Amino acid sequence: MTLRLFGVGATWAISLLAAFLAFVAVTRGHMAFASIPAVLPALRFDVGVTPLAAPFLALLAMLGVAVGAWGLRGDRPVDAVLIAGFVAAMLLVLVARSVAAFVLAWELMSLVSAFLVAANHSCRSVRRAAFVYLVVAQSGALCILVALLLLASRAAGPTFSEIAVAAATMPPGTRTAAFVLALIGFGSKAGLLPLHFWLPRAHPVAPPGASALLSGAMLKVALYGLCVVVFELAAPAPAAWGVALVILGTVSAIGGVLYALVDHDLKRLLAYHSVENVGIITIGIGVALVARSSGVIALATLALIAALFHAVNHGLFKALLFMGAGIVAKTQGTVDLEKLGGLWGRLPWTAPLFLVGCAAIVALPPFNGFASEWLTFQSLVGGFALEDPVARILMLGASAGLALTGGLAAACFVKVFGVAFLGRSRRAKQSHVDEPLRERFNSATLAQALLAGACAALGLIPALAVVPLVRISAATLGALQPPGIAFAPLASLSALPIALVILSVAGVLACLALVARRGLRRVPTWTCGSPVTPAAQYTATAFSKPLRLIFAFVLRPEHRRLVETGTSPWFPARIVYRIESRDVIDEAARRLGAIALYAARRSRALQSGSLRLYLAYAVAALGLVVVLARR
Amino acid sequence: MIALSVLQLLVITGLAPLLHGAMKLLRARLQGRPGPSVLQPYRDLAKLWCKEAILPDGVSPIAVAAPGIALGVALTLAAALPLAVPAIPPLGEIVALIFLLALSRFSLGLAALDSRSAFAGMAASREQTIAALVEPTLLLALLGAAALGRGTQLSALMHVPFGLAGLLAIGAFFLVLLAETARVPIDNQETHYELTMIHEGLSLEFSGWQLAFVQAASYVRQLSFLLLAGLLLPGGTVWALAAWAVALAALVTAVETLFAKVRLFEVPQLLVSAFVLAAASIALRLLGATL
Repeated sequence: MTLRLFGVGATWAISLLAAFLAFVAVTRGHMAFASIPAVLPALRFDVGVTPLAAPFLALLAMLGVAVGAWGLRGDRPVDAVLIAGFVAAMLLVLVARSVAAFVLAWELMSLVSAFLVAANHSCRSVRRAAFVYLVVAQSGALCILVALLLLASRAAGPTFSEIAVAAATMPPGTRTAAFVLALIGFGSKAGLLPLHFWLPRAHPVAPPGASALLSGAMLKVALYGLCVVVFELAAPAPAAWGVALVILGTVSAIGGVLYALVDHDLKRLLAYHSVENVGIITIGIGVALVARSSGVIALATLALIAALFHAVNHGLFKALLFMGAGIVAKTQGTVDLEKLGGLWGRLPWTAPLFLVGCAAIVALPPFNGFASEWLTFQSLVGGFALEDPVARILMLGASAGLALTGGLAAACFVKVFGVAFLGRSRRAKQSHVDEPLRERFNSATLAQALLAGACAALGLIPALAVVPLVRISAATLGALQPPGIAFAPLASLSALPIALVILSVAGVLACLALVARRGLRRVPTWTCGSPVTPAAQYTATAFSKPLRLIFAFVLRPEHRRLVETGTSPWFPARIVYRIESRDVIDEAARRLGAIALYAARRSRALQSGSLRLYLAYAVAALGLVVVLARR
Repeated sequence: MIALSVLQLLVITGLAPLLHGAMKLLRARLQGRPGPSVLQPYRDLAKLWCKEAILPDGVSPIAVAAPGIALGVALTLAAALPLAVPAIPPLGEIVALIFLLALSRFSLGLAALDSRSAFAGMAASREQTIAALVEPTLLLALLGAAALGRGTQLSALMHVPFGLAGLLAIGAFFLVLLAETARVPIDNQETHYELTMIHEGLSLEFSGWQLAFVQAASYVRQLSFLLLAGLLLPGGTVWALAAWAVALAALVTAVETLFAKVRLFEVPQLLVSAFVLAAASIALRLLGATL
């Protein structure tokens, strides 16, 4: 218990620190705290805050508080300590202001999170997930290190401010190389297609509190890294980078939601939705870059506000949904949508809170997802007025892609909530689940309530986030002049959510009043006269079938029918019907992994154990160094 | 201004069942049947209002509240149209209205899955599928004014020059209209066969005043969408809008008489062609200045 309390206390303390730093960053702007010299000047540690880090710090603080409360009951005690370490590592990444500090903090974050992913390591699939995660994280970290070193090569020193000063004089080739490497490194960590394949494996297997942080916070820290590179270290970014980000973002958004649609493992489905939402955030960043390189700072500011706002929002509702999925897993023993159903009655706290998360993630007014997705749309539509016709067509494509994503996400969450929480349980044997086990309010539900409250508050009063974000974005983009016409969306956003839903709220109240006055008779469902069984309900597979068939060219579903024949081949004992979707990229990654492992096995020959061979290596290396040094 | 908006809301809500009745009558006449009175929808609503509401055992409060949400969304859409006034500023925003329509579908879809009926679940699945495919087209068809740099307010659409781009946009929107108002060739309101129902299937388990809410919502939505289509056509006055809405209603009825319902898995082809039309329309407008 002391271990758990220590972990939770530390998480809360770090969250408070993060909140304080976010406040400082918004009110004071750039601020350097400490510069710790090292033996080599290149290894100097610099710590400070920038306005850009502020929304991420604030998100980390909110998630830290909620995950801390969650940790009081859920997970193992040692996980609570690991989570505290994880939050601290993310905080360090956000305040690192020199190459060495950033890379070290980044590595710390990857390693601690790998321990969390591997928490249930007795299961083979968990070990594999952790291994894949580590491989991707380390390869990504290598790319980031090289990118930062490339950027620092021309600078006077290793601190980010010095690199930013030198960025303008860098040859475009080097800068582009650094951008591509940073995009691979940060993009793989953030889960952008096609480097997302680790994410749907790693996020679901971690303990729920850790999943909430992995999806809610760590992906955003990766996007923060990308923002630092494109808006500060390698600024000014050419329009082509923005174009690349918008295209990648759109592809990730559509791809993520399509794979989520056909997946019926609640946690893996949520992980795929992270890919989708990271895509939406990346679209915002890309539009900001395109607009900035065209000199339309007002539009760039709007797009950056949308991206940062959506990053915060996604962190909040995704953490909420992962916690809900954790409760489902704990109480039902499964997260397979085909086996769930009717949880509304059994989880009277989690179910409505989960519904808030669903409404927020599909951007229904008046929740926070609506506000930020709407702003993203507004920035795309604002891009219709850009000079460059290519940019305009790009914005058109991205708007259509985003609209499709929105529709598909709505379909997916109708499926999730309708199948898992509504209707009746789909279990064949209902012995232990049908007893009226009622959930009580406890610290785990408190954590979800905090996050749901934040989702509702930011949705109803978007100004809470938008007002500081205007300052942050303007400071990040170096906007000097007061915001112009593109800011009309921000002004109308404050009244929009309430105006949109006020009649619907009235409608709901009318319904409740009518039920109170005239009553509502309950009868069995009409199933054409046949007995009402849970098996008559529509399943998740059936629900997603039309979309699975329409998008078969991407999803490539595989139908498998296993017939178990008993005594007679004409009367099968059991028929199992299974549909699996083959993730094309997953397949490619698996092939690549196999090749890498093969190469690793072959390279074992180098390590023969013979002392003489090792001496020969040493001499050869020395010779190589001498030859290289002489040139 | 608020008073004018409320008046507009009342007029649209009051006339929506009449238009539905007129469409039903026209359709019956085109098919050589005498048809019901144009006032039949009012009578239906009154009858349903007086009847008792029943719901399946053990459903959640979502199923109780969903008809209210659907009606509220439809009324908001009606209030947001730029007829009497340019619409209360934040309301007439196109992207926000599209998000709002999703709210109604989401709650009705959840209610359908909650009812434990396979038919309702099937309808919810199909409705969400079609909505996901319609959403990009709906957005692009309505962004004509935005493509000319005039913002995303509905009122800006009234004075957009028509031309080829306008023709493409209205073509796309007409297909969207058929999908959103549950008309042949995409859906069939008159069907009594549960397996082919999409929109009707969603409300299978509703009855009494709850069904009245859902029906009223679909009448109001239908008129609102017809008026939205009117915005894309040349005119620019309220009377022109109303005339276009009536003309389009007649056209929808004619299409219903002349064409058969297409198979569910051929609907995507129809909707993709609508998307191509809408995208071409916007692209023409976006590049008009440079080409």
